[in-house]
Amino acid sequence: MAYLELENVRKEFNNSVAVENFNLKVERGEFVSFLGPSGCGKTTTLRMIAGFELPTSGAITINGVDMTDTPPNKRNVGMVFQAYALFPNMTVADNIGFGLKIAKRPADEIKKRVKEMLDLIHLPVKGDSYPYQLSGGQQQRVALARALAFQPQVLLLDEPLSALDAKIRVELRSEIRRIQQQLGITTIYVTHDQEEALSISDRIVVMSAGKMEQVGTPFEIYNFPQTSFTASFVGQLNLLPVTVSDAEGRRCAFNGRALAVGQPIRFANGASVRLALRPEELNLGGASGDSQRNELTGAVESVNFLGSVVRIRVDVGGATISIDLFNERQLVLPKAGEQVTVNFPAESCWVME
Amino acid sequence: MRRFPLWSWFWFLLGTLYFFLPLLGTLNFSLRIRRDVLSLDAYNNALTDPEFIRTFVFSNQMAVMTILVSILLIVPTAYWAHLRLPQVRPALDFITLMPFVIPAIILVFGLIKTYSRPLTVFGLPVVPPLTNTVFSTNILLIFGYTVLCLPYMYRSVDNGLRAMDVRTLTEAAQILGAGWPTILFRIILPNLRTALLSGALLTFSIVVGELTLATFLARPAFGPYLALLGNHKPYEPFALSLISFALTWVAMGIIQFVTRGSGQGQLAGGH
Ligand SMILES: Nc1ncnc2c1ncn2[C@@H]1O[C@H](COP(=O)(O)OP(=O)(O)OP(=O)(O)O)[C@@H](O)[C@H]1O
Ligand SMILES: [Mg+2]
Repeated sequence: MAYLELENVRKEFNNSVAVENFNLKVERGEFVSFLGPSGCGKTTTLRMIAGFELPTSGAITINGVDMTDTPPNKRNVGMVFQAYALFPNMTVADNIGFGLKIAKRPADEIKKRVKEMLDLIHLPVKGDSYPYQLSGGQQQRVALARALAFQPQVLLLDEPLSALDAKIRVELRSEIRRIQQQLGITTIYVTHDQEEALSISDRIVVMSAGKMEQVGTPFEIYNFPQTSFTASFVGQLNLLPVTVSDAEGRRCAFNGRALAVGQPIRFANGASVRLALRPEELNLGGASGDSQRNELTGAVESVNFLGSVVRIRVDVGGATISIDLFNERQLVLPKAGEQVTVNFPAESCWVME
Repeated sequence: MRRFPLWSWFWFLLGTLYFFLPLLGTLNFSLRIRRDVLSLDAYNNALTDPEFIRTFVFSNQMAVMTILVSILLIVPTAYWAHLRLPQVRPALDFITLMPFVIPAIILVFGLIKTYSRPLTVFGLPVVPPLTNTVFSTNILLIFGYTVLCLPYMYRSVDNGLRAMDVRTLTEAAQILGAGWPTILFRIILPNLRTALLSGALLTFSIVVGELTLATFLARPAFGPYLALLGNHKPYEPFALSLISFALTWVAMGIIQFVTRGSGQGQLAGGH
């Protein structure tokens, strides 16, 4: 049996469904992210695991114990909130020790544990500070320490980084991952930032409109999206309107040009579908006769320099596609309006509705 | 170069004079109990009158009780409204403003009319008339004062709660294992410190000077004493009103000091 299980969980608010058919098994020590657009039910699901919302139907078990109706203060679950939610009237040390104090642990044990936690979050000298004396990033570290200090069975984080600026965000997310791995704590992390989810998770649950779209490792989610929602929500995706010309032989037609498709095509000949393709799979230049590569031509619309990559947008007639090139010094970039040929390997593209 | 803000100073001085001249007049008068010399005799007389001490102590007791009752009544109510029933907050705002609309004289007659008979359930008396004994009349007085001070106490607490994220703080405490008493006493009340203090001091200065309720419930309070004194002593009432004025100022000074001193707006403020 998995460590944390959600079985057929469903939540309605005044007869409108916020979450449905939610089935998830999380192994002990696993880091799972809920990823999806605003309003898709991530927070609601997390709050049901915490006990702040009761599922309309379904069951939640932690370590084999049915927790579905257990109140939050009896669940032994740690939670980190988007707004930090540190107690303003207490010092950092008192905040971190709060859970242990509630559990009536001896004072010297609390003191020792608080010190360990302060070291863990790299703020060893801030114990006597008050929350308002800390930066946002430091406050969120303290909130993390507070959630972990009483050794909860599961750690829940609801967009813990979204109130911080970009640089701190990246720094703190790897810190969260480091601490999570060091303690081996089972963790659920809610975010709408795909880069965040891809970079720190063992597995990702992609959600949309209250339902699970796909569950898988970041590698699977990015490279083998199973629904068009996942494909377009995670990462950039080019979608070309094409017609299936030979399903058996895996061929499509775009503006009279035949394109080879790597994956099997599950549509009938003549069906209007879309060819999906990641921007980083495209290259400038012709296919030079390689039958496993496809060619498209068009006029350059724009060239955007994004740092480590350069994004070129090309109007290929009826559709605009993005091409991401790694930034190299010897790169010769086309100019806007210039006519270019681009190519991509057949196995990198797939067909969807 | 910036022009000297002449008009600002003019209005400021005018305001100051308007405010302080009567006070100075009162002060001057209160020092003239002896012909041709300034003396503190009026203050001495006033403060050593045993009646003064009795009524002042009584009013202070009533004020402390009123503050306790108000806090016990208002903090849980306002907290629950913030946490679970935001839709009742407009109604609470309205109800707590009623004492501004309904004169104290109407309140006190209502109280007397209702509680000078036994409370009955199905015709059987369950609570004897509250006006029968001194002790139960004091209770009536305290609850009357609580109503009178609702606008101040409720508004302070409401502002204090507004200034903190009640829901998230509650949930953060809950998930760490805290039950309701812990949340209320360890998280909510400490963060309402300054709000409660300013509510309490306002309540205090109102109760100590209150006249109507105490007069009609015939309790030996400071307000009626002061009024009575005014009727047959020339100098002492002025000395006492200056003293109570000073007390009010001290109370306001404490509010100012604490709300400022609590630092960086982290503790929920009273105004
Ligand atoms: N207390 C509530 N009462 C009524 N409806 C609610 C309540 N909480 C959430 N909902 C609804 O449930 C749906 C899911 O909300 P939820 O907060 O879980 O979304 P989310 O994925 O966390 O979004 P975001 O990324 O914006 O935080 C939304 O349509 C929301 O309006
Ligand atoms: Mg959310």
